[in-house]
Parts: sequence; C-alpha cells; structure tokens
Amino acid sequence: MSSLEKRAWLTLWSQCPPYLVYFLIQAVWPNWLTTFQQRIACLAVVAGVHAIAYVAGLLWMKRRERGEPLLLDERDRAIDARATRTAYFVMLTGMIVVGVVMPFSDSGWKLTNTALFAIVLAETVRYALIVAGYRGTPRLAH
Amino acid sequence: MPTESLTNEVRLLRFLAQDMTQAELGRRVGLTRQTIAAIEQCRYSPSLEVAFQIADVFGKRLDEVFHWNPAGVETAKRVSTP
Repeated sequence: MSSLEKRAWLTLWSQCPPYLVYFLIQAVWPNWLTTFQQRIACLAVVAGVHAIAYVAGLLWMKRRERGEPLLLDERDRAIDARATRTAYFVMLTGMIVVGVVMPFSDSGWKLTNTALFAIVLAETVRYALIVAGYRGTPRLAH
Repeated sequence: MPTESLTNEVRLLRFLAQDMTQAELGRRVGLTRQTIAAIEQCRYSPSLEVAFQIADVFGKRLDEVFHWNPAGVETAKRVSTP
C-alpha cells in the first residue's frame, strides 16, 4: 500500500467517527447543548479526538516506515489531483449553501455546523476518492 | 461500445532482465513499486516521459514495450470490410 493511500485511510478513520457522532447529536438532539460554552466545548472535544487519533496514527506509521521519506510519484499525484478536483466542487457547493442561501433563513450555530459539515464532507470525499483511485477503478491515465 | 487499451511487456522484460524486481525498476525510473505493479496490470497508463524511461532501462524502443490497441477502430474496419 502506498504512503498516500495509508494516509488517506488514516484520515478517513480518524475523521469520520468523531464528526459522525457530532453531526448526529446536532441533527437528532439540536437543543441538547444550550449555551455557547457547551457547544464550543463539544466541538473542541470532537476536533481534539480527530487530531489525537490522526497524530497517533501518523506517528505509528512513521515508526513502521522507519523514517523513510514520503515518496510520491506521478500516479500518486494524478490520483490526488483527481480526488481534490471533485472535493473542490463539494466544498464549493457547501460554501454556496452556507454563504449565499442560508443567511436569508438561518443564523448562528446552524450556519457554523453546516459550514463544518461541508468541510468534513469535502475532506471525506477527497480521501475516499484517493482510496478508490488506488483500488483501480476506473482506469487512470497520466 | 468501442474500447481502446494500452498494454505493455514490462512484466516480461523484467523477467528477461534477470528477474529485475518492481522496486528496482521503480527506483531507476523514479516511480514507486506500487505504480510499476499498476502499469504491469494495465491499471495505470504512465506519462510519455516515464514510458520512454522504462523502455530505456530495458534498451528497447517505446513501441516494443507499450502497445496501443485501438479495438474500436479494428472492429469498425472489420465490419465495413465486405
């Protein structure tokens, strides 16, 4: 498995579970957290879990790779470029919703959470497409 | 639906070059072992520059290593020929 694919898996596994829990709480029990401090603390915990899981995974991978530099070749860059291009449009759509549509009907934490959701979704799409790119479908040409 | 494909003889040429490893070939042309494996399995078409470099490693011409099969064109010709 290439280094970029390993990092993509690591990002998916460290990012998706905590943010899935966070967005589920926001969607199912939107009034569970009432004060600003509670909400920001919840977000900080989720971001913290993501960061700790990612850094721990990265350190474990670095140890296993025995300090070898991250070697990316033209295929890695082509897979990354294709995934990033698609994720960009996901992000663009999310930002249009948050910045152009929602301000006329919503405000506050709903805007914040939607923006955060768009960012997490774009990242998830990017890394999922990187993993799919390495799995061989569809065929990739330089 | 017409399909075209780029095939190659990299696996065979590696075998003929004293069973050169994918890692060794990758090191010589600046690719990872995984990318060499993807090229051999026709899951990735390399850039022209890398294709020339691979051919150069084996001392072959580009068209001796990589073959483009215009399947759709051949099918169309066969159909139109009386």
